[in-house]
Amino acid sequence: MNPQDIPSPVQPPPLEAPLPDQLDLKTLFEALLRRPQALVARLAEPNHGATGRFAIMAVVSILLFGFVLGCFAKHEQLWAAPAKISAGLIFSALICFPSLYIFSTLAGARVSISQLAACLAGALALAGLLLLGFAPAVWIFAESTDSFGFMGTLAIGSWIIAVAFALKFLKSVIFATGGTQKAPLTIWSIVFLLVTLQMTTSLRPILGRSDVMLTQEKKFFLQHWGDTFGTSLKPAVAEKPDL
Amino acid sequence: MNLRQLIQPAPDWLDAPSPQRVAFVALTACAGLALYGFTVGYWRDPIMGCYVAVKLPLLIALTLACNGLLNGLLGLLLGTGLGFRQSLLALLTSFALAALILGSLAPITFFLAWNAPTPESPGASAAHSAYLVTHTALIGFAGITANLHLHRLLAVKAPTAAAATATLLAWLGGNAFLGAQFSWILRPFFGTPGLKVQFLRDDPFDGTFYEAVWHAINKISGGFGLPALCVLMLFLTAPILHAIYKNHRTTPRP
Repeated sequence: MNPQDIPSPVQPPPLEAPLPDQLDLKTLFEALLRRPQALVARLAEPNHGATGRFAIMAVVSILLFGFVLGCFAKHEQLWAAPAKISAGLIFSALICFPSLYIFSTLAGARVSISQLAACLAGALALAGLLLLGFAPAVWIFAESTDSFGFMGTLAIGSWIIAVAFALKFLKSVIFATGGTQKAPLTIWSIVFLLVTLQMTTSLRPILGRSDVMLTQEKKFFLQHWGDTFGTSLKPAVAEKPDL
Repeated sequence: MNLRQLIQPAPDWLDAPSPQRVAFVALTACAGLALYGFTVGYWRDPIMGCYVAVKLPLLIALTLACNGLLNGLLGLLLGTGLGFRQSLLALLTSFALAALILGSLAPITFFLAWNAPTPESPGASAAHSAYLVTHTALIGFAGITANLHLHRLLAVKAPTAAAATATLLAWLGGNAFLGAQFSWILRPFFGTPGLKVQFLRDDPFDGTFYEAVWHAINKISGGFGLPALCVLMLFLTAPILHAIYKNHRTTPRP
């Protein structure tokens, strides 16, 4: 038998180095994008301190994206839009968190509450970072158009893309922690998305301006979007009377 | 570094996105676009040619700068394994290739502008339309070629062909969406006869590219804007997807 006929032993894939003990913002940012599996494993250990950092990352990103949306109507919306969007997202995360724990357990995941909270914060941070990526483009359009329909579609479209990646990260969390079923997380994802979309109506106006900061009128988000889609920021120019 | 390396990049082209390499590719893109841009605006006025020579590289620079973070994030999240600088180099390489194609055609388009009826002549309107169609076709050809080239580059780096395709489509969508709006803001490029020659219109931020396209389609189709838009999108996306699918089979594997 010639030496070249000897089959070379199969090389196992190289093992990923564990994340460092100190999880600073840069490490978390890198891990979120490049090594989600290693991040999930690290978050299972105590004293990671990542939840707060992820939350800060998410809130700062959302505040900046909200500011960009506020540039559409300007005036008080420059601070009101970021405040409302951030508050809406935090509120949505808080009310959806109990069901996330139950649904992920139903899916078969063996994840602790603190680990899941860190993962949810990480998912929102990821969504926030993606929204930051969209922010320059959204700003260009906010300065160019007066159409609520166009700006609304752009903002909601950006949010849906960002949240899709966040939910993909949560899915990897569920499967990395022993989950075997997709259906519970799919249902939770739909619920979470609907809650965040309803926030756009419950906290209105976010894009436009109003005499009141928050309206008391109850409306479903599809109805609100339908009512405002064809409207414009600039009031229609009244025709001069034919004298 | 020479142009052949850029047109026929080695499989490890994206592995070393050194500042020198990025600067070389960016300068090549700027030079090609400036040369071609001059010939685009020259027909309306030589001053317009100078304006477009500046605006065409500016359009690409603004699009890449504004979408830089998003492109980098998508490159990582969609599984190509490319970092931020590698994503930038990949996109710049693609734009540089398009710029080289267009730059190499610049003598021909200059000849075209030289021989076309002048903007002051009676046949200016027809000449302007023909000029628009010709340049749109050339830019379309350069864009498609550059994107297929980018797809091959991505396929070498990405673990799966699907990851390369997803990244390409995400980048293409994001850059085309924003690039179209920047082209609206930076108008005029061709210079409509009758309108004055200027670097930017008086109201560059008034309206969006998409609203203008929508109004035009709605007007042309007699109020049937939505079905017309759907048909148009189908005609535009089908050949692109077909070309990418075919490209899978010719993509070299490492």
